[in-house]
Amino acid sequence: MSEILKTLRSNDLALGLIGAVAAVGVWEICARTGVVDPTLFPSPSLAISAAAQRLTAETLADNLMWSLFRVFSGFILGALAGAAIGIAAGWYRGFGTIVRPLIELLRPIPPLAWIPLAIIWFGLGEPSKLFIIFLGAFFPVVTAAYQGMRSIDPVLLRAAQTLGLDGLPLLLWVAVPATAPDLATGVRIGWGLSFGVLVAAELIAADRGLGYMIINERNTGGSVGVIIVGILLIGALNLLTDAAIGAAIKRWVGRWHGA
Amino acid sequence: MMRRFPQIAPPLIALAILLVAWELGVRYGFLKPYQFPPVSRIASGFVELSTIGFPTGVSIWSHTLTTLVRVLLGYVGALALAIPLGVVIGSFQVLDKLTAPLVVFCRSVATLSLLPLVIVWFGAGELTKVFLIGYGCFWVMLSNVIAGVRYVDPVLVRAARTFGLHGGELFRRVVLPAALPRIFAGARMALGVGFMVIVGAEMIGTIEGLGALIMEARTFYRSEITIIGMLIIGVIGFAISAGLTALERLLLPWAGNLDAVRR
Amino acid sequence: MLDHDNLARCALRRSEAPVAKRTTSPFLQFIAINSVGKTFAARTGSSISVLDCVDLTIAENEFVSFVGRSGCGKTTLLNIIAGLEDATQGQITIAGRPVTGPGQGQGVVFQQHALFPWLTAVDNVAFGFRKSGLNKTDRRQKAMDLLTLVGLEAAASKYPREMSGGMQQRVSIARALALDPQILLMDEPFGALDELTRIELQHELLRIWEAQRKTVVFVTHSINEALMLSDRIVLLAPNPGRIKRVFDVDLPRPRSRTEPRFNALYEEIWDELST
Repeated sequence: MSEILKTLRSNDLALGLIGAVAAVGVWEICARTGVVDPTLFPSPSLAISAAAQRLTAETLADNLMWSLFRVFSGFILGALAGAAIGIAAGWYRGFGTIVRPLIELLRPIPPLAWIPLAIIWFGLGEPSKLFIIFLGAFFPVVTAAYQGMRSIDPVLLRAAQTLGLDGLPLLLWVAVPATAPDLATGVRIGWGLSFGVLVAAELIAADRGLGYMIINERNTGGSVGVIIVGILLIGALNLLTDAAIGAAIKRWVGRWHGA
Repeated sequence: MMRRFPQIAPPLIALAILLVAWELGVRYGFLKPYQFPPVSRIASGFVELSTIGFPTGVSIWSHTLTTLVRVLLGYVGALALAIPLGVVIGSFQVLDKLTAPLVVFCRSVATLSLLPLVIVWFGAGELTKVFLIGYGCFWVMLSNVIAGVRYVDPVLVRAARTFGLHGGELFRRVVLPAALPRIFAGARMALGVGFMVIVGAEMIGTIEGLGALIMEARTFYRSEITIIGMLIIGVIGFAISAGLTALERLLLPWAGNLDAVRR
Repeated sequence: MLDHDNLARCALRRSEAPVAKRTTSPFLQFIAINSVGKTFAARTGSSISVLDCVDLTIAENEFVSFVGRSGCGKTTLLNIIAGLEDATQGQITIAGRPVTGPGQGQGVVFQQHALFPWLTAVDNVAFGFRKSGLNKTDRRQKAMDLLTLVGLEAAASKYPREMSGGMQQRVSIARALALDPQILLMDEPFGALDELTRIELQHELLRIWEAQRKTVVFVTHSINEALMLSDRIVLLAPNPGRIKRVFDVDLPRPRSRTEPRFNALYEEIWDELST
């Protein structure tokens, strides 16, 4: 017995799995024994069966694809713009002195607060959602890119100068790669923010997507089980994509940057 | 003073040019005043908001107060739960390993996606908003407290042991102070999250609070009020983070730059 | 730029306190440092003089070390020769051409390794060929040759963080040699290494210097290191940074630390340094 305990103790994954299974088990038991009202907080098994009943694979896939499409396109646009502006602001002093205070001025406004203005500017369609998600990625990435540029070890730039590089090649071949670790951190924060913003945008103003799916379920008086499954699905999607981005960063940056 | 002036001047000039171009663009019909309310209209909107209020009777100050009270309630509640729980989990390796995936998952759940569920539970009232803020703050805080307590530099612990400290005293005198910077970083992040969540939560099913104000103003085609609301949200956000940084320097003068803490 | 006041002042300084014979033959003046000074504007409005009236000529293939306490301006002087910083007074010429910037035949090895952390050893060296017009495979091939020269062909695909300090500096030397510079400028390159690695790399450097016939300017704070390596040792003094004395090290190589003349010179330099 103690042997088993010992191997368990050293195995993080097994312990974590036990913890997660136990949590789901407690939830199931609470709902079954009536400690919590199953119509308000159904057990996992009930929630899944309700979701299986009310959701076809087709509608689920459709909503999922829309959410993913929105978050990816908005995020990529925001991250690219953020990286380009942040790097340019860090490299070209004149551009930086003008652009940076303007960014700092807008940065404290959370992306969600832009929703009404986005609707005023772009209407209720896709562009307004893209814009909000864009902002979610833009601000963390632009800040990280700028700070990364500012913290480049000057000796790297000098070394490249002694090898005959200057101007644009110096920026592209030395300064930009040197900024990569900071940029990666910004990208990861930006992804999390984009994802959170996506869900909110779909709750507030959308007619498809996972966020819309769950708020619609509640507005039409549907099953709480579907809402719970939707929430867990969104959470799992966030976790998976974040892990994928983390792994990609580790592959590109981690092998030369101690992390 | 003379040296600092040229650094501040260009962005101010750029901003002024932008605002003037905006104002003129609306005057001469290049920009729609509904989409880009000019500065003059924003100014008169601000006067209206602080006297008559929007909707009538609810001034900008009362919107702000409502939002702040909601954030504060959820935030304080979350901290009160997360700090003791995090200290316990962080102190025992087994507990940390048992709960790690659960904490990571719950932190990944998009806070606002809980909104439909919480409305089913508590209706669309105050409790729903406070709960959502609490949820968002709680997991950010919890994971930072756990990490802070768990990853105290072992050299510090070993050094303290050579002075004969152990058990509760070791924890109180060394582990906790060493974990404080990280805990503080968590508290700062959590407040940011809470502030983000409230703006979204207020956009659904309420007419009071800054989030509701900017959304309501849009439906009545009062875009200048939307922009004023956004600016106030920005000012509060800025004040919060600046205030916490100052507080941190005051309380933890020995701690280094916390922006360097990896999340 | 000819600043006559500066030149006159420096000429006067030279006549008052001669530090060394000046070689006038153009063949021996490969690097000519003429009345070089460097002043910074301080915050308070006054100016700080980092270097003042530095006159020195270095012959082709010569190995010269700069020795002195911290703050004597030895790194600044090296950076000015490298073209990384500008002199505020005076001028430096290399083979008769004034130094206007980096990349005029000066290869530089820095105190910290200054390797690009995102490139492997061979790619770091190949980076040095970026301006050479070679294609990618040729660049890599030449980089491998240089890595072989410094004895690191086995570590070609390692990233800088996976290498020891000694290996990192070997790669730095290989990279600095990439453009086949006439001059190798080295700023305390072995200062951060442990004693054994340091001695190993000193031998390595002498071997490369003799094989490739480079002119080396070497900054160090170690009198021992300077004596082991150099033809001449230039002793700088701070406040303002200036040349205090130049020592000829006419000991045959390979040198030994136990040799009496080595120790006599050591004592002499030490005395000069500590007064």
